[in-house]
Amino acid sequence: MRFKNHTLTLLLGAALVGCATEPPPAPAKAAAPTAAVAPAPAAVTPPAPPPTPAAVRNMISTCYSCHGTDGRSAGSIPGLTGMNAKQAETMLKGFKSGELPATVMMRLAKGYTDAELEALANYIGTNLK
Amino acid sequence: MSKITRRDFLKIAGAASAAGVLGHAALARAAEGGKGSARVVVVGGGFGGATCTKYLRRLDPGIAVTLVEPNAKFITCPFSNLVLGGLRTMDSITHGFDALKKKHGVNVMHDTVTAIDAAGKKVTLKSGKTLSYDRLVVSPGIDFKFDTIEGYSEKAAEIMPHAWKAGPQTVLLQSKLKAMKDGGVVVIAAPANPFRCPPGPYERAGMIAHYLKEHKPKSKVLILDAKDAFSKQGLFLDGWKKVYGDMIEWVPGAKGGVVMAVDTKKMVVDTTLDKHKAAVVNLIPPQTAGKIALASGLADDKGWCPVDPRTFESKMQPGVHVIGDSSIAGALPKSAFAASSEAKMCAAAIVALFKGETPAESSLVNTCYSLIAPKYGISVAGVYKVTEKGITEVPGAGGVSPKDAPDSFRENEAKYTVGWYQSITADIWG
Repeated sequence: MRFKNHTLTLLLGAALVGCATEPPPAPAKAAAPTAAVAPAPAAVTPPAPPPTPAAVRNMISTCYSCHGTDGRSAGSIPGLTGMNAKQAETMLKGFKSGELPATVMMRLAKGYTDAELEALANYIGTNLK
Repeated sequence: MSKITRRDFLKIAGAASAAGVLGHAALARAAEGGKGSARVVVVGGGFGGATCTKYLRRLDPGIAVTLVEPNAKFITCPFSNLVLGGLRTMDSITHGFDALKKKHGVNVMHDTVTAIDAAGKKVTLKSGKTLSYDRLVVSPGIDFKFDTIEGYSEKAAEIMPHAWKAGPQTVLLQSKLKAMKDGGVVVIAAPANPFRCPPGPYERAGMIAHYLKEHKPKSKVLILDAKDAFSKQGLFLDGWKKVYGDMIEWVPGAKGGVVMAVDTKKMVVDTTLDKHKAAVVNLIPPQTAGKIALASGLADDKGWCPVDPRTFESKMQPGVHVIGDSSIAGALPKSAFAASSEAKMCAAAIVALFKGETPAESSLVNTCYSLIAPKYGISVAGVYKVTEKGITEVPGAGGVSPKDAPDSFRENEAKYTVGWYQSITADIWG
């Protein structure tokens, strides 16, 4: 089933740039208080508020196990340096949607909300040189 | 009042250490007005412990971090199966602590913690020294329940190695594989859950088969499993068939896989149904949290350590954090990657707690590669969050490599298996 997605990737590959330039869903301010009291059902993801800077540092630190400390890879897995935030966002969201083929990143990127991926992309573009 | 220089601090710390209480002066200073540095002692220099020391220092260089690790160098369980397959040397899976000392300012002591006094916030070392701490991190890995299989013991492991702690046991198993005659059976006895590295026994089967295929092609690998299902099962079974034909046989628990007894003299393994005569036996016994965790009242009656899922602080002993294989970390597996991920969250939580802040939201990841053959890699991945149910996997994400993927996909994952090892070990000990 997963593999069907992978095939789809090849078909949709050309659409990637178009998709990525669409404005990200605005993290509506009104959503924040609702999210705070909602019992958060597992299946439906409410529009989450952007993660705090400390939460982003926690998230990015887990990437370093494969991509190297501060994104400077020690081996064959690509590092995270030399990208601007927009490029990083395009990649991460491409992995999440399955439009950008990968081995493991397609599975991992699905574990983050769009707001989290945007925050990670920002961190990569700003801090990882 | 008086300005204390780094040199003065070291002198004081040195003197205190000589007196047997490292950093007593710093504690007094901290109590007086927060001028001294907070002290964290980390027990165990493996994937959990070593990561924790480095990330504590990265997050707050003001924290004095001491690592207590008995061995001068650490040998990783990840890639020890590749040593058995002849793809790696022991040297290449051995890591020193120089970078942690010199680059990250971690005080590394090669000693063993023999007792934890959680109430008095101090640990006793084998050498007789005592270390005081503000917070303690315990990452001792696993220990074995040797007595659950009749005829097996620590001594019997010299004849039927477990090789489930990398080092002399790995070398011993390798030497037995090298010494066996062509046509023999290598038995791998895999334990019931939970145990360290769920895909490990099955990666090992492939790596041993790789060695046998090249050197002793008439031999077989027989996996006697206490379980009826295992990690990445479909991918392993497909891969074995494809690469090794009928060389690897897996016997699930329900069909006679449960090992009840062994005879080390006759090299016979007894299961609920059969007796198997083997040329080499790799018996991986059931496990518990590391010895020091059990001895310090950190474990529950099943032998593993309950922790707060956000901070990894023990639910049994305040001020003591337990990470890695010893901890009960919800949906996270007992893997090297998970241990390192837990260590990073634990370090961040400790830094926050020292500042009197609430720890930020955790993010935990697991990514485990297994090699079936040198150019045949598979993986499992997962993203984890802390919810009211503890550490839970984010639904809709993660999972194993696709079934029926082309050879190029398996080859890429084999390449990333090596990249994974290079990166994670550099992230921890580099």
